[in-house]
Amino acid sequence: MSELPWGVHGKILEVDLSSGRIEEAPLDPGQVADYIGGRGLGTRLLYDRIDASCDALCPDNVIVIAAAPLIGTNAPTAGRGHMVFKSALSGGIGSSNCGGTWAPAFKSTGYDALVIRGRAASPVLIDIRPERIEILPAAHIWGKDVHQTTEALQAGEADRRTRVLCIGPAGENRVRFAAVMNDRNRAYGRGGPGAVWGSKNLKAIRVAGQKKIQVKDKERYQSGLEQSFYLLKQAPATKRLLRDLGTAGLVELINLINMLPHRNFLDNRHRDEDVENVSGETLAKKLLQRAAGCYLCPMGCQRHTRVGDKKGEGPEYETMVMIGPDCDIYDLEAITRVNYLCNELGMDTISFGGTLACAMELFERGILQAKDTDGLELRFGRSDLLDELARRIAFRQGIGDRLAEGSYRLARAFGHPEFSMTIKKQEIPAYDPRASFTQALGYMTSPTGACHLKGGYAVSLAFFGGTKEIPRFSLLQSPIGIRNMHNLGIIQDSLGVCRFTGYAFSYDPWARMMSGLTGLDFSTARLEEIANRIAAVERLFNLAAGLTEADDTLPARFSREPILVAGEERVVSTNAVARMRMDYYRARGWDEQGNPTPATLESLAIGKRKSP
Amino acid sequence: MKKKTWNTSEDVLRLFQTVGRASLLYDIQDSHSGNMAIRHRDESGNDWIVITSTGSQKGDLEPNNICFLSPAETDFGYYKASSETDIHARILALEGVAASIHAHTKEIAVVTLDDADKPNQPAPFIPVDPLGYYHLSGVVPVDWMAVPSGSPEMAKVIPERLAEHPATVIQAHGTFAKGRTLKEAFFRVCIANNAGYVVRLLKRLKVDVEGLRQRVWDSPQASFSYPPPDYTIDDDDVCDFPGETEILREFQKAGARIFESRLSPFHSGSMSVRGVGSMLYAPKASMPREIGGPLREVPLEVEDGDSPEIQVHKQIYAASDFQTIMHCHVPEAEAQAHFVYPGDDGPLDRIVPIDAEGSFIHLVIPVVPAKTGIAELVRLLHDYKVVVVRGGGVWAVGAQSLSEALHHPSSLREICLYRIGAFEQGLDLRRMEPGKARNW
Repeated sequence: MSELPWGVHGKILEVDLSSGRIEEAPLDPGQVADYIGGRGLGTRLLYDRIDASCDALCPDNVIVIAAAPLIGTNAPTAGRGHMVFKSALSGGIGSSNCGGTWAPAFKSTGYDALVIRGRAASPVLIDIRPERIEILPAAHIWGKDVHQTTEALQAGEADRRTRVLCIGPAGENRVRFAAVMNDRNRAYGRGGPGAVWGSKNLKAIRVAGQKKIQVKDKERYQSGLEQSFYLLKQAPATKRLLRDLGTAGLVELINLINMLPHRNFLDNRHRDEDVENVSGETLAKKLLQRAAGCYLCPMGCQRHTRVGDKKGEGPEYETMVMIGPDCDIYDLEAITRVNYLCNELGMDTISFGGTLACAMELFERGILQAKDTDGLELRFGRSDLLDELARRIAFRQGIGDRLAEGSYRLARAFGHPEFSMTIKKQEIPAYDPRASFTQALGYMTSPTGACHLKGGYAVSLAFFGGTKEIPRFSLLQSPIGIRNMHNLGIIQDSLGVCRFTGYAFSYDPWARMMSGLTGLDFSTARLEEIANRIAAVERLFNLAAGLTEADDTLPARFSREPILVAGEERVVSTNAVARMRMDYYRARGWDEQGNPTPATLESLAIGKRKSP
Repeated sequence: MKKKTWNTSEDVLRLFQTVGRASLLYDIQDSHSGNMAIRHRDESGNDWIVITSTGSQKGDLEPNNICFLSPAETDFGYYKASSETDIHARILALEGVAASIHAHTKEIAVVTLDDADKPNQPAPFIPVDPLGYYHLSGVVPVDWMAVPSGSPEMAKVIPERLAEHPATVIQAHGTFAKGRTLKEAFFRVCIANNAGYVVRLLKRLKVDVEGLRQRVWDSPQASFSYPPPDYTIDDDDVCDFPGETEILREFQKAGARIFESRLSPFHSGSMSVRGVGSMLYAPKASMPREIGGPLREVPLEVEDGDSPEIQVHKQIYAASDFQTIMHCHVPEAEAQAHFVYPGDDGPLDRIVPIDAEGSFIHLVIPVVPAKTGIAELVRLLHDYKVVVVRGGGVWAVGAQSLSEALHHPSSLREICLYRIGAFEQGLDLRRMEPGKARNW
């Protein structure tokens, strides 16, 4: 295909931090048709530009930030940016999605994607403006936290559209789960993109632009748009629950269905009054100042909260549970305070919580001792240590240096990797896989390591999927079910829209909007095909990075130590793991080792990787 | 012969109770109407006619409502037995017949009324839906009787009719059907009533029924997608996946809902859940809770001997990522598919909901001709999740669950009822349909 579809600018910005070279490259129109944008386009661009076997923290790692065609339209939630890179945590593909307003601002600069490679000799920021693009020194903001950096780079800006994407001290110090932040508190959180930025001496990207995009077939686009808003106003979660309770509104529900982790996933038993302390309802009553939404979001799940004199955002469900009950902590204010701090330091709260929980278990078992922890009694329930530990991690001080490596490397360093609740070295989010085979398989097969979003948000179907509710313990249904969930997530990430729209609808309105916007055929069937293609390329990246089928598994705890689910003892047996993994591969058209078969590659027209 | 008692066997009692309750759920009887009979051989090798007692409530049959009669002589069992025992006895004497049912089947009974001078020979009933056409051999005889209940005249005519046809209608009274099993006979009266309902709906929609009948009569192959699978009698208790307890429950729930909500007549339609190398398949999707139906695990690849019905499931899966498929014969959709807007030349190509929930779930539902190919069907299923095939039932899919697929025909039925009701009231459907739906 040679003609550029509508909805994109047709340009990629390539920045080499080692040489200081800044270049424009044309966007292959065929890649829009085959990979859309966001996650899909970013994945393909990364795959073509990187030696996947490189060290994630070396100059050869490549960062791709891709906008999507829908960004710049008025489609609901269409403001989410996507960043792909080799993960500092897993060694496989890093793929992180974020709300906020930076991505629309980036697209308004006239580019569809930004590719960053190399390493600057000293801290820099990339400044992208209508009149010029520059790599500027950033020594004056190196060492500042995310909020300070954002304020410093926006101060004095006449253009109110200026937006800042940056890392905090955690990224500078290459904490393996460091985040990249925009709008002060919105995180590209998982997989350690902040560490990769830090390794490149890249502190921030400031953007300001005014380029707009046009819709090709307004009537078709509008029909999808109207449908999407109509449906968002209908579904309970999207019309009210997320605004009233935020994602923390899940805490009570997930506990009711025996899926709320406790003490590093040792069990799922909580006292009701403890759970209530960290519920979305309590958060709304005690700390919530206001709800708000990301760019063009009618749902408004953001929690703008206040603890004492301090204002901030959060906590979301995952943060609440991973730093809370998974560490045996039910102190809402302590969790919220450290959430603020993680945002300022630029750290993924899921991996932060999961790493602390692991360290606490190691300590309680005597594997980690006071001499290893700077004298800290690192026991479950120590909410008083949270702030201090966050700072030590971000600045790699004392025990913080160990914790900054994530729970897998920590536990392995002390001879007990089995106490790390990770998949592909990334911490498992706040849904116990023993309470849903589908969720377990989603974690296992997520290309980025354990992730509730990249792994297919199965829990949302198992318990509040409405007509889509699925069995929790079906070996037969889980593989295709999770493949389809993965695929929907891939498309949402590639369209630049929010996962939570999936509570109201799946592909249909997006297909119409994309077809109307671009003038290309983006039928639902085509979107499914694109999702399969992107999943295959992500897999190819991971294989090239050295990951194998052995990485698509659960920690042994989940097959050996049962939890009670609806009165029944549940594990995910090793046989179940093996069968589901194999069936998932088959559903994808991959062989027994998880290699996409030649027939699959041909049918998806993936083509050979271009030379980096 | 062993002395009879009223203590019927558990199996026979349960069979009569479950079919009886199902007949009330499907609304083809009044509280006390109709009767059911089977030929039965007891453990001692004695043959019996087993029949419901006269005036018994078919929805709540008790052990003493089940009468055991000698097939060869009048005995005391006859005192309580149905007033139509003689008719059933003669039906059961037909070659290959082991069960018979009489039900009041209001829909086909009403649609076969006439106001001609009596006596007369009413016109036979020609079904225009695929289930009715194929399962009732294309024609259902209709007879007028001077004494239309329990009469010797009926005992003569009805067995004669049933010697040639699966079911027959007695004007202003109801349907008699034969079967190899009681479930097959019940299947046939349900299919007959459904066929009558489709025609009634068509008349309410002012569709040219006689023209449609002529087209069906002239070329059933062109009018319908394919013949539905033959009714099977020996596999209803088969379950190939007892270990998949959650999926099993989903099949049972969906099957009961299809039947109870009349999304498809008893033991018609099909549904499946796809695994990686196989699919779980219910070839008789409309399954009352107590009766069930076969639940098979079959390969995903098309095999020799596969029915056209199962082939469609496999072909849809081969061309898509769907996880569940449901095929129902929703009578309201069957009729709506033939609706012609006033002023139009041909039937509609999309059903546009005018009700709130319908609009919420489906902005439009495509209607396609009987011979639409798999590729087009899959394309439409991708875009709309449910498709009405004119003369081929309703196909619906889910990305995740049977429940998801079920919601489509269920919602579609209501959508059609709203539209039929609005049309009957003389309302202008075009004005009620959202304008934007024309482009969705």
